Amino acid sequence: MTRTNRLEGFGFIAPLLVLMVVAFNAPIVYMLGLAFWEKGRGFTLEHYEGLAEAPVYLRVLGNTMRIALIATIANVLIGYPLAHWMRGLGRRGRMIALAMVVLPFWVSILVRTYAWIVVLGNGGLVNRALQWSGLTDAPVSFLYNELGVTIGMANVLLPFLVLPLFAAMIRIDDRLLQAAASLGAPPRTIFWKVYFPLTLPALAAGALLVFILCLGFYVTPAILGGGRVPMISNLLDTLINQIPRWEQASAISTILLIVTLAIFAAYRRLDRKASA
Amino acid sequence: MTREAIGGSPWTRRALAAMGIFGLVFLTVPLVIVIPMSFSSARALTFPPPSLSLRWYETFFGDPRWMEAMWTSAFVAAISSVAALILGGLAAYGLRRGTFRGRDWAEGNFMAPLIVPTIIVAIALYLALAKVGLLGSLLGLVVAHTLLNVPLVMMVLGVAIREFDQRIEQVAWSLGASWGYTMRKVVLPNLAPSVFAAWIFAFIGSFDEVIVTSFIAGKYETVPKKMFNELILEVNPTITAVATLLIAFTVLALAAVAFVLGRAGKLKETGV
Repeated sequence: MTRTNRLEGFGFIAPLLVLMVVAFNAPIVYMLGLAFWEKGRGFTLEHYEGLAEAPVYLRVLGNTMRIALIATIANVLIGYPLAHWMRGLGRRGRMIALAMVVLPFWVSILVRTYAWIVVLGNGGLVNRALQWSGLTDAPVSFLYNELGVTIGMANVLLPFLVLPLFAAMIRIDDRLLQAAASLGAPPRTIFWKVYFPLTLPALAAGALLVFILCLGFYVTPAILGGGRVPMISNLLDTLINQIPRWEQASAISTILLIVTLAIFAAYRRLDRKASA
Repeated sequence: MTREAIGGSPWTRRALAAMGIFGLVFLTVPLVIVIPMSFSSARALTFPPPSLSLRWYETFFGDPRWMEAMWTSAFVAAISSVAALILGGLAAYGLRRGTFRGRDWAEGNFMAPLIVPTIIVAIALYLALAKVGLLGSLLGLVVAHTLLNVPLVMMVLGVAIREFDQRIEQVAWSLGASWGYTMRKVVLPNLAPSVFAAWIFAFIGSFDEVIVTSFIAGKYETVPKKMFNELILEVNPTITAVATLLIAFTVLALAAVAFVLGRAGKLKETGV
């Protein structure tokens, strides 16, 4: 038997490992090199000094953080009641609701973003309904501003929060809640003292995941913001494709990468706790 | 019953149902609205459409640039999904069954393209491909899509392999079957539904990929890249027809996955 062999099974991962090192790890390392290295002078922080001096970078960073935070809060406010409601449905109802969450998840992000142009435009469904009901006289502009970008991002990311949260909620043992009820706890107390704390790790993990994904969002702000709501990714696009400043793009990418990995580490800890 | 235990008064329950239904409407209504709009006869995106026509589908199918983009997308998706399936499938098997050191590290590395923001992957690949002179090449595009699809394949197949009883393989070996024979006759037939699901997910993932493609594809147009570029310039109703076709494609692909996994009694583990 070769089961004690230290290399047992390594052959299976070797082809993928070669591809990943050449086509993924090496490019990332090369990008880090551009951010911190200057020809002939070696290690430098010069590209970061340039960032701190230009107020436009800080403004975009602030924009990105604010939009990511608002979209995450919107996701929690919409997603938690949705997942909780799905838990209480019957088998059939659960399947249908789950399909309605999973299907949009797999539809192209472009289609889902574009759909909001159709729905929120001046002649779209929402503005028609608002005017018909007499709430407004003139169409409300949802598009090409921060509101539209936030709505679009919250929509695209909602399944990332709802699916793990729902999975955590259906793992909660009903008998726990019945025990609390039989001891005379009113429903409100059972919810806040028993049920909600049990779902909190999954909720926090889901919210962190949504926040990470928001930070790197590119397509939705580009389309629904109409160039007026720049986020980090759109700034990076400009630095690469329009005014080639590759070193500066690498420097910003490195910051984004580090922030993302740090939040992801926190997410992993919470996620382990949630599924334990 | 849970619903009685934490459901509260009928009013609380009604409010919760209203919020839940609002969530589902928020998720699905945009997609549902796009479909009738694609059959509109008007240029302006007015809801409801003034009258019905197929003109935006005719524009799409009659435009050689859209057709070329569709073939490029299909070609890249076909090759990269199969490459990701083979490489990712073998790696998932090695990670579950192997005993070598550093498996956690290797798995983390393989899953990284899913965690690292796609814009960073796009920039790193752009810079590296420019350095080696492969920017705007079909090879670069296929390799990029392959590594982006590997995490999807590994998530689906990793679960399937873990749940497949290893002792069945050991029985085959102990009866004298070679490794290749065991793979072909024992492992693959048992994993076939999950392999199909993983392939479909990888194909959709590649067919819909827009960020990395926009950065590194050069003169090559794919459907998402062309769609993205047109959406930034102006809103053209042809996009509504393209969007409807993509929704139909996704629904059919997921229905196929649900059917195959459902028949194998594995629907629960599809997840995402």
